[in-house]
Amino acid sequence: MVREKWTDILPRYMTFISHMRPILRETRRIILNLDPDLLLDIEVLDKIRQEEEKRNIRKVRALSEFSAMYRTNVYEIIKDFIVKYREDIPIIDIKDYIVEFLYESIDALTVLQNITNPDQRNLEETYLYQLVKFIELTIFSRGSSIQIIYDKLLENSVNYYECQRHLLMPHTYYREKLENPDFFVIPGVSPKVYQIINNITSLYNLDPNFGEFPEKENYEIPMVLKNEIFSPYIDSIANPEEEAIESIAERIGLRILDGIFLSPQQEAVDIFLKNNFFRESKQSDGTIRLIPQFSNETLILYYLAFASMRRGFLSKELINWISMNFAFLIYMGILKWKLTDENIFYSIFKDLQTNEKVLPYLMKLACFPNYLGLDKMKIRDSPQYRKEIFNFIGSQIDNLKDFINEIAIYCKKIEKERKNK
Amino acid sequence: MIEQQDPTWKELQQEFIKGVENAIQQVNERDVENIPGAREALLQRLNNMRIHFPNNNGAIFLKSIDDKIQNAFFPNTKDFTEAFQKILKSRTHEQDFIINELLNGFVTSKAKAIAMDTQGPIIDRMVEAFSKRNDFHIVDHQFFAMFGDPNKPRHYIQKQLEELVNLFGLISKELVIEKDRRRSEKKVYTFYTFPPAILKILEEKYLIIDDELGYAYVSEAFDRNIFICMFLANIAVNRDDLEKIGGSYSINGISAIFALILILGFMPKITIDETNPILRDPSFDNQNMSVIPKSWMLKQVLEPLFGPLIKIIAYRIGGGLWLSKIIDSEINKKIHTQIRFLLRDVNKWILGNLCRVEIPIFVEIANIFTEITVGTDTE
Repeated sequence: MVREKWTDILPRYMTFISHMRPILRETRRIILNLDPDLLLDIEVLDKIRQEEEKRNIRKVRALSEFSAMYRTNVYEIIKDFIVKYREDIPIIDIKDYIVEFLYESIDALTVLQNITNPDQRNLEETYLYQLVKFIELTIFSRGSSIQIIYDKLLENSVNYYECQRHLLMPHTYYREKLENPDFFVIPGVSPKVYQIINNITSLYNLDPNFGEFPEKENYEIPMVLKNEIFSPYIDSIANPEEEAIESIAERIGLRILDGIFLSPQQEAVDIFLKNNFFRESKQSDGTIRLIPQFSNETLILYYLAFASMRRGFLSKELINWISMNFAFLIYMGILKWKLTDENIFYSIFKDLQTNEKVLPYLMKLACFPNYLGLDKMKIRDSPQYRKEIFNFIGSQIDNLKDFINEIAIYCKKIEKERKNK
Repeated sequence: MIEQQDPTWKELQQEFIKGVENAIQQVNERDVENIPGAREALLQRLNNMRIHFPNNNGAIFLKSIDDKIQNAFFPNTKDFTEAFQKILKSRTHEQDFIINELLNGFVTSKAKAIAMDTQGPIIDRMVEAFSKRNDFHIVDHQFFAMFGDPNKPRHYIQKQLEELVNLFGLISKELVIEKDRRRSEKKVYTFYTFPPAILKILEEKYLIIDDELGYAYVSEAFDRNIFICMFLANIAVNRDDLEKIGGSYSINGISAIFALILILGFMPKITIDETNPILRDPSFDNQNMSVIPKSWMLKQVLEPLFGPLIKIIAYRIGGGLWLSKIIDSEINKKIHTQIRFLLRDVNKWILGNLCRVEIPIFVEIANIFTEITVGTDTE
């Protein structure tokens, strides 16, 4: 397989964006020069579009098809907007609105086109770098130890825990293996594994057993019975998870002791103690017992910190999912910053056909070592797969919307800092 | 009067009281609480339940189930539109979240054959599917793309799709294309949408009809709870027709979920010391949440209450027919344990304590309990 270089991927990312922008600019010019009254006649717009299409001289079929589709969508949206409001708003104002919306959209595309540069000059100052780092800090923090990463994640979990959890749960979990022949590979969290982690949290909080802390004399750590975790499952529906419990446990800071107990690893004990998820209680015989007082996020954030620490060993699904979410957040953050909520062209930007032309390359760019540092070779190129994962990105999660707003605010900050320089 | 002579009802109440006594014994035997007074508060509440529940022919149950739960979730009517409207009206944001978490788990497992490997937010995907089009319809091939397993033949999910459509009470329309562009063959597309009377109700808030363009968009307010309301309305109206509501599986599931809601409503709040770190935890909302004793989450405490309560719910909502479908097997007990685990999705563990999010239905049930208990004490 040919290793894809930065200079291979960036032009591909630019290709479609550089075709969208001229279409919008051309449309803006046409609308600006058009007598407002002519806009009332919808057929005029159709004719203009047909004329525009004749000028199409692109030789690559995929590009000319895309351009035609894109232009048609733009004109259809303009037509719908006119038909919808021509009775209520003076046509001159409608024209102004359309031009304004086009200005905003072109602005957004300009930022997307200049998100970075071919030679990565002053890379720390590019939008791509700054946005990846901003998002990374909040939901996929870096650090030299799990403890450092965990602390950073916990600090941000107050506002963005749902985004952090979302990042761990790929929609394509059914393609994942819980255990991999390569022991180091870390998969995402499937809904069932999530349920099992929740079970473990409850069992720790409710009525755990206590046993000797192997690494520390005079200390007792809490333990839960492996069997108890799986007792509610009937018809062997959690058999794969039960068989892979050792691997799952490792990812949430636990381990199997005496073959039957699930207990915390030494490193996790330190982290949980530091963050008040364990409380020390002195027993009558002088031993110190660590009483668990877990919150919902205690174990999930450990998984995330563990995945972040070992990001070189993430499964294919998880890499695709994480990079797709990063690309989506960057893309939507820029749109939120540049486009007003009522902009009629939002739907084109959010359309699957546009998404799949921009996001896959943005995903790969975000994976380079200076950015997320994930193995971009694991990003799938199949259109079917893209459909599978893009179809539901960002849907139904309010917390993700809040985060996009925050990213938009951060974009403004970057712009302000640039202007001040 | 008639109910006072109802031997089944009497027997069910006795069974529940036995369960309460059993739970009291369990709480007495083990102490897992770390908040001073939590265990005592739970014991007092269980004792109150033991004393007051049998009074006045089980008035607390009658008020909680027949009035509150039934009004909000299973209106007593044969008219689907009326039922849907009533359920829709009882929505509140917080209540939506909890009820949705509980029912979503149930509906998802019901639609497991479609949703690949029994997991996945099937209702969310339905919402997405409706939101992505501008005619408020979804078409069958959209379904196949969403839920079809590429490794299995398409007819495999066709039947499941019909089941799902029935579950939510959607209606279908066929579009016949005499010659399709690709193969020049006759092709039949099936579109699904909501019944016309329901569309009228949705137009008030959830659906935007653009007469000019002939489009129908969903508004921001359109969400998964519309489907939950359809599902509940379908069960309420067809409660006597087991085939239409998914047989004993639905009855067991629904009764168990509402038994849980009842138990959550009955549980006491604990007063916590102002120095307790929970109060300083950013995820704890003092206005909207309360700490509850964690002992009642113990299997040993919850199990004796849960079984009889499921039967009580089934009897109050669906009479003898539903009661006869409640299966008392070991496997069912395991399923109940699974439903018990759903509680963690609707409540929150904060620093080792279970915190209940207060929603109207819990508050209303708790109020009935307090009202009747105080009333009896005064007498």
